[in-house]
Amino acid sequence: MNLEKVIFGFFVLLAATLNFGFFIGDIANRDVHNIYELFAALAVSLIATVLKFGDRTQIGAVHLATSLVADLQLVAASVVWVWAEEISAHGLTVEFTASVVSLSGGALLANLVSVVLLVIETVTFHRG
Amino acid sequence: MSNPALTFLVRLLRRRRPVRRDPTPVPLDSATQASSTIFLVLRRMRAPLITLIVIFSVSVVGLTLIPGVDPDGNVARLSIFDSFYFMSYTATTIGFGELPWPFTAGQRLWVTFTIYLSVIGWAYAIGSLLTLLQDRSFRQALALQRFTRKVARLREPFLLMAGYGRAGELLATSFDALGQQLVVIDTSSDRVDALELGSYRADIPGLVADAANPHHLSAAGLGHPYCSGVLALTNDDEANLAVTMAAALLRPGLPVVARTVSATVADRMRAFGTPAVVNPFDRFGEHLRLALKAPASYQLLTWLEAGPGAELPDRGRPPTQGRWVVCGYGRFGREVAVDLSAAGLEVVVIEQVDRPDNLPGTVLGDASDADVLARAGLGGAVGLVAGTDNDTTNLSMLATARRINPELFLAARQNRPTSRALFEAMQVAALLVPTEVVAHEVYAQVSTPMLWRFLQAMPAEGDAWAAELLGRLRQSCGRRLPALWKIRLDRVQAPGLDRWLTDGRVTLGDLRRSPEDRARQLQVVPLLLLRAGEAVLAPADSTVLAPDDELLLAGPGSERRELESTMVVEATAAYVLFDRHEPSSWVWRALSRKVGDGPVPRSRRSG
Repeated sequence: MNLEKVIFGFFVLLAATLNFGFFIGDIANRDVHNIYELFAALAVSLIATVLKFGDRTQIGAVHLATSLVADLQLVAASVVWVWAEEISAHGLTVEFTASVVSLSGGALLANLVSVVLLVIETVTFHRG
Repeated sequence: MSNPALTFLVRLLRRRRPVRRDPTPVPLDSATQASSTIFLVLRRMRAPLITLIVIFSVSVVGLTLIPGVDPDGNVARLSIFDSFYFMSYTATTIGFGELPWPFTAGQRLWVTFTIYLSVIGWAYAIGSLLTLLQDRSFRQALALQRFTRKVARLREPFLLMAGYGRAGELLATSFDALGQQLVVIDTSSDRVDALELGSYRADIPGLVADAANPHHLSAAGLGHPYCSGVLALTNDDEANLAVTMAAALLRPGLPVVARTVSATVADRMRAFGTPAVVNPFDRFGEHLRLALKAPASYQLLTWLEAGPGAELPDRGRPPTQGRWVVCGYGRFGREVAVDLSAAGLEVVVIEQVDRPDNLPGTVLGDASDADVLARAGLGGAVGLVAGTDNDTTNLSMLATARRINPELFLAARQNRPTSRALFEAMQVAALLVPTEVVAHEVYAQVSTPMLWRFLQAMPAEGDAWAAELLGRLRQSCGRRLPALWKIRLDRVQAPGLDRWLTDGRVTLGDLRRSPEDRARQLQVVPLLLLRAGEAVLAPADSTVLAPDDELLLAGPGSERRELESTMVVEATAAYVLFDRHEPSSWVWRALSRKVGDGPVPRSRRSG
């Protein structure tokens, strides 16, 4: 067992699950989407990105690309949330909630691709 | 595929595929080598970056969870955005101090904790980055990347020089004077530093790397379309062989010049393509033989090989009759003994070690010992060759020998460049400096193929001929060797001469007249005329020139420009060749052609 692979798989999967947890539920209902979950998803996604740095293989490059996409989407979702809460006059309206959740939905797709890549990598790995 | 239109289309598309001329492309992994630098940074920065992210996340979340109090006394927690903002300016030690309202004791406790945590995180990250920048392997990767990029951007023919020792330095100076671009690889960082400090006109890229590694060679441009030749000049025969092999296998047909002192290695090199192998000992022996047979030819040879600006060497007069004493029967001694015997001289060898392959009659002993020298019959000898691989031994041999027999012709081998002053003070008649022999030889072979051709054919012309040519060179160019350059009488280089060349009306003597005053001859000495693969050495003034003739000329740059104006401008050519004044502008020429083909009066010449 390779500890590096364990940590790598852990963070990739955790990023996807947290992302999924935030995304699930009525898209326009702010009560079913926890801001801390979004924050955690973003933090873990960043860690997963850093873990993918420096891999020179082709699959490593695609890994990094999916993580960067997820980061971008989650950062955008957070910025929209902050804008709605702190700057917008009307607070977190239904429209804002929907756009935050849909942005995180995009990130979820990228994270799922990441997980699929992880699975493919594991399946095609032959020892010896 | 029944549809004819489709078949045609498919054929058309197939033909579009790029045709690869080179059957064995060079495995260029320099691109991956270059990008590996950034991967190295990323990989080493993983742990510090993750630490930073974790510290930030923990601090931000903690700050939002701890209850604060607003001015009205209500419980008010910081939002995630507010605490991220606060942590950003605190952790980066900017310390803005802008808060919605004062912190409670609980919040202060947490902030104190996070400040220390984040300082540790930043110190770790920045420390790692600085360590990485200082790291040797990282700097090497960076240097390789810069070097690779510099080489890839070269847009002029360049020579790849493996090994920048003494010979490399001499060559680089000569080639730089010719405007020839170089790329250098050397294993020693001192030598590459010396290259950067050297005052060259061109910017010569240098890399500290083992040239025997084909990857480094490809980074240095072995696969580059502008690479025009490879020079293997390291001190290590094995490395030179490796460079020769790599060049022959990866870029077949590329000219290679390799240096070696071993005949076996030379044979192994010749197994790969047709490299020009330079063996300084072998060459010295040949030179010595030429010097014995034809002193003037030897003088001309050494002068032309020494490169532009070289002082005319003295014409040595080695004794051609009598006994020679060769001290040291190593690789060098063997070559010299063979060459001297071949020249019909009596040779006595002094060697310290009793080897089975010593010549019969070899005197055993230390050659710096006067008794040993006497046993070798130095008193009646005419020449002595001090050829061991130790400069101190060689010098003491020379001193002892001169004391015994002051009339001796002394030849010596100088091994280290630092001993130069000592050998000069000793006033040795013939000095072999292996690195210089290599440099001159390579220069002669690579600078222009015509010079090499000339030097190859020159000894056959005899000593008197060489003396006469030397006289002409000295008369027109002085004691310093002028630049050697070649011209080709084709439509590109000599459009002004084209129509008379085809008629066979241009002689070399007329071409050498000055465009300012045709009574004066340009101070240019033609060394070689190449016509359809046949070489004429030092062609006479009466030689009739033909289109596509190639000439190797020696003369100062100002004379070269005058000759070039004759070659390019038709009006100048008409004056120089036939003393005719033709108008140089198109209108006047069109007018005068209508008037007739006759000469135009001087007053109408428009400059």
